[in-house]
This record gives sequence, C-alpha cells and structure tokens, in this order.
Amino acid sequence: MLLRRIITGALGISFGMMTAGGVFTVLLAVGLIPRFAGKTHTGRKVMLYETMVILGTLAGDILSVFEPQIGTAALQAGIPGTVWQILGGSIVLCYGLFAGIFIGSLAMAIAEMLDSIPIFARRIGFRHGLGIAVLAMALGKAAGSLYYFWERIFLFGG
Amino acid sequence: MESKNKTIYLKPKRNAEVTQEAVFLKDVASLTCGDEHLLAKARALKVHQFREGGERRIVVSNLRMIEMLQELDPGISVEHVGETDTLIRLVKTDQTKGFLVWAKVVFVALISFFGTAFTIMAFHNDIGIHDVFGRLYELIMGQQSNGFTTLEVTYSLGLAIGITLFFNHIGGRRITSDPTPIEVEMRVYEKDVDDTLIETADREGKTMDAS
Repeated sequence: MLLRRIITGALGISFGMMTAGGVFTVLLAVGLIPRFAGKTHTGRKVMLYETMVILGTLAGDILSVFEPQIGTAALQAGIPGTVWQILGGSIVLCYGLFAGIFIGSLAMAIAEMLDSIPIFARRIGFRHGLGIAVLAMALGKAAGSLYYFWERIFLFGG
Repeated sequence: MESKNKTIYLKPKRNAEVTQEAVFLKDVASLTCGDEHLLAKARALKVHQFREGGERRIVVSNLRMIEMLQELDPGISVEHVGETDTLIRLVKTDQTKGFLVWAKVVFVALISFFGTAFTIMAFHNDIGIHDVFGRLYELIMGQQSNGFTTLEVTYSLGLAIGITLFFNHIGGRRITSDPTPIEVEMRVYEKDVDDTLIETADREGKTMDAS
C-alpha cells in the first residue's frame, strides 16, 4: 500500500511540474504580461506580476482540483447571508471581469502571434480604419460571449 | 591645441528617456575623447528641443549626431560605435510615482491573478482532471478515489514547484541570479517596440536625419 502511495505521489509531482512547464511556456510565448507592463509603464513591477501569476495559478488549481465549498463554509462560520451576498458577489465580479480581460487579451495576442491580422490586412490592401476593425472584433467577441451564455449553448455541447 | 587628438568616440543609446524638453548629446549618447575641452563642448551639443504639447518622441539618425559634431569642429574625427538610430522619448517625472501608477499596478496584478486562475481552471476542466485522476487512482490503488487523494495533493505541490522553478523566484527572492522569463520577454518586447517606432519614423520620413 505504501509503495502504491509513493508511486501515485511521484506521478502527481511529475504531472504537476509538466503542467506548469506546458501552460506557462504558452503563456510566455504569447508575451501578455510584458505587454501589460509595457502599456502601463510599470516594468519595474514585473516581479510582482510574476508572483501574482504564481498565486493565481495555485488559487485556480486549488479551486478546480479540490473544489472547496467556500460559500457553504462561510455561511456555516456564521457570516450573515446578506453580507456574504456582497462579499462573495464582489469576489465573483472581480474574477469575471479580470479573467475576461485576460482571456480577451490572450485571444488577440495569439491571433497576433500567428500574424493573422497583418496577413489579412495586406491581402485585402487594408490601410486605414484599423481602429474600427479592432472595435468590431471587440464588440463581436463580447456579443458572441453574451449570446453563448444567454442561449446556454454550453448545455448542448456547442 | 592642434597637437591634441581630435578623435571622438560616440556611442549613442538605442532608446533614451529624457525628462527635460532640451535634449543634449550627453543625454542620448556616451562620448569619450582625448581632448577634454572638445569633449565638454560635444557633450553640451543640443540635439533636439521638444515643444510644449507637441510630439513626445523623436527618432534621430546617428548621422545627424556625427554631422553636428563635425559642425562643432571641422577637424574632428568621429568614431561611431553601436546603434544607427536613436529613439528619444520625453517622459514626465510623475510617471514613476503617484496614485495612478499604483492603480495601474494593482490593475495588472489583478488581471495576472484572476486570469491565470481562470486559465488553469479551464485547463483542468478541458482535460477532465477528476476523471483522469480518479481512474489513475483506481488503477494503481485498486480502490475508489474520493476526490482528495495523494494524487491531487502531490499534483498541486508539483504545480507549485514547477511554476516557482519556471519563474525563478519565490516572492521577491530569486532562486538563481538569472533574469526571470518575464523580465527577458519584457526586454524583447521593448526592443520590438523600439524597432517598430524607428522603422515607422524612417518610412514616414520623420527621422531627424543628416542634411
């Protein structure tokens, strides 16, 4: 039994390290965080951002692997329902908003890394109105996302 | 004076950030010369004057700098090392501190935190991590997994070790003296931006070039 446990443990450790390597190489290749830091002129704080990336990944890992029942625990600990509505609600709000910004940037960064926009622009002889195209893409993404959730498309497997 | 060596070595920066509207050669390049007097005059050469409310950025061709030095003293000989174009940017001193900067730092930090939390959760959801771990646990241990086993714990531990090694630091402490991957990416990104700005200025004919 102990031997089996050791094998499982060794497997777990190596899975974790490989996932970290894989997931972060992709994230890094896209160069999202340097871009955020560059845009906001806060290059000096890169270490902080990296720490947040580490903490964020661990938080997400704990949430999705162990599925702690935070809401139930908070209510059982005696926090009044209305207070938790606000507190929990603001956590959910932050999660949604910032994860959305991140994924939106990630999607565009990947599109850009694959040079799809420059190639397209060159093919159709596109010179002006790039701002409108970008705005259209943003609105399209927002509309598509809202439609997806509104129609509950996820329930039918796309 | 004539016997003195009039060779001046000029090493312009690729990207110079200045805080004053008047830009002198010493702000945008390192210089050395055997003739102290000439060196002082060269350092004080005015390269550019930013106008209030105008462009905050200019690309100066290094040929222009050489030309200026030659105008200063026709007998001068310039040895140029390094870049061919210099990007000069006027930055405000309040850009490095203040409430707005803190707000930006917090903003980026929150995106980094929640964004990566979501990414890893979506990844776990995609691969169906509970199924994979549950089946693997059954295969090895010969009993039903309750969803909280050695596998889940060590996986999370491995993930933590993996990212820490990858990013090369724990909190503010570096594990090795190498720069962290994002620091490297940051420099690569800055270099790309500088290249683009210099090339765009060149294409639009906005480079301050030798006449």
